[in-house]
Amino acid sequence: MTTKREPEAALSVLPKSDGSARYSYAGYTVTASVNGPIEAQRRDEHAYEAHVDVIVRPAAGVGGTRERHLETILQASLIQLILVKNFPRSLIQIVLQVEASPENDYVNTKLMQASLNSAVIPALLQTAVLALLSAAIPMRATATSAIVAVMTQDGASRLVAHPSPREIEAAQSVHVLAFTSQDGLLLAESEGDFTVKEWDDVYDTAKKICCKSGATKGEGIEMVLDEQEDSGPDMRQFLRSALETKVAADLHWK
Amino acid sequence: MATENPLVLPGDEIDPSLIPTHKTKPLRLGPGLRHVPPNQILPTLAGHLIADHRKNALYVEYNGGRYIPSPSDLVIGQVTRSAADLYYVNLTPYTPNASLPHLAFEGATKKTRPQLANGALVYARISLANRHMDPELECVSTSTGKSEGLGPLTGGMVFDISLGLARRLLMARSRDVGKVAVLELLGAEGLAFETAVGRNGKVWVNSESVKTVVVVGRALKETDEKELGVEQQKKLVQKLIKEMR
Repeated sequence: MTTKREPEAALSVLPKSDGSARYSYAGYTVTASVNGPIEAQRRDEHAYEAHVDVIVRPAAGVGGTRERHLETILQASLIQLILVKNFPRSLIQIVLQVEASPENDYVNTKLMQASLNSAVIPALLQTAVLALLSAAIPMRATATSAIVAVMTQDGASRLVAHPSPREIEAAQSVHVLAFTSQDGLLLAESEGDFTVKEWDDVYDTAKKICCKSGATKGEGIEMVLDEQEDSGPDMRQFLRSALETKVAADLHWK
Repeated sequence: MATENPLVLPGDEIDPSLIPTHKTKPLRLGPGLRHVPPNQILPTLAGHLIADHRKNALYVEYNGGRYIPSPSDLVIGQVTRSAADLYYVNLTPYTPNASLPHLAFEGATKKTRPQLANGALVYARISLANRHMDPELECVSTSTGKSEGLGPLTGGMVFDISLGLARRLLMARSRDVGKVAVLELLGAEGLAFETAVGRNGKVWVNSESVKTVVVVGRALKETDEKELGVEQQKKLVQKLIKEMR
């Protein structure tokens, strides 16, 4: 099944940009390029901070309202991570190209243009963070993101982490959450009907996925098996190992 | 016990045992670190955390990204245009121009100053850089009034390299510490050339023969892209010399 696959990442894949990354997980493949700090256009210039420009390009066709919506969501999250005050009057440009998205055989995707495509947000955010790290843009923290769906079966609700497109289609509500590496909530986007109690459960589940670090894993073998079953890979550990490879290659002469 | 040079990511906590202490010298934070008042030091970049106990300094070693000007860096710039009393010099593409006053050259007066055409190259030192202003350059040492090797670069060719390699080439002992030996090896093979390394990821190479310029440039680019060690650099130099003859 595509959704339970391990995430993959490659850094500095584009030779001409300042930083770039390609990331694939759960059927999505996204390539990001980051350029900056560069000269901002006069109308984008802020006197005291850098302007962060996020551009999302879909897998097919040109971007529309849906992509603009994704851009505003990502931009609001990324300016919290980047130390924008370090580069006044400049521009940091992040271009995210979706290369592949999982197919849902049951639904004609062209018809759901109007709704928010929340399943792609974790992949976009993760790629953006990797590309920013590759471009050596000073940041406050790194971030990890997760998507959780609330499914209703026979009157009882059930949480599904990293749901497939089919599950998202059938879900009561879908939630995208992102956490910084200091365990702060960075992004919370929800779609559908849900209660406060359900949201709290979703928050706990997402926090467990995003914030578990390699250190807590050593507590017991049973626990480790347990966790891996429902919450997928350790995103923080993944981020670290991806960077470890890149930094080791960069500093091979040390 | 923490490892010697651990990998840090932005926002990671730094193990207090890694922070150097000194009786008299104040702690100096290098690139990639920021101080969050009152008493927190956080990395802002991904790289290896390196502590220099002799200088009581702490910094993050990394490679990549765009050059950000900082004072007393040596850079290679291209003159884009000239104003009444200064040249506008480009250091990296798509960034605001740095300014180089007409009088910031050795022995320059209002009547005698180097005439630089648009597109001319200069080797300069950054005299002023802060985030709110465009950087300023100088081609003369303010204390001695001598150029100390800085000034217009005529002839030759510029090659783009990574910021990490530029830093290694500019090290006082680039062969032992920086592990780049290509230039020395090429010189030992009997090639005559001169180079200037800009911290903004540019190398200028000049020689009597165009062949030599290309060979030196290619050797540097290949060392950078393929991440060659000293032994591999030796092989590369031998190969290039053989092809040249």
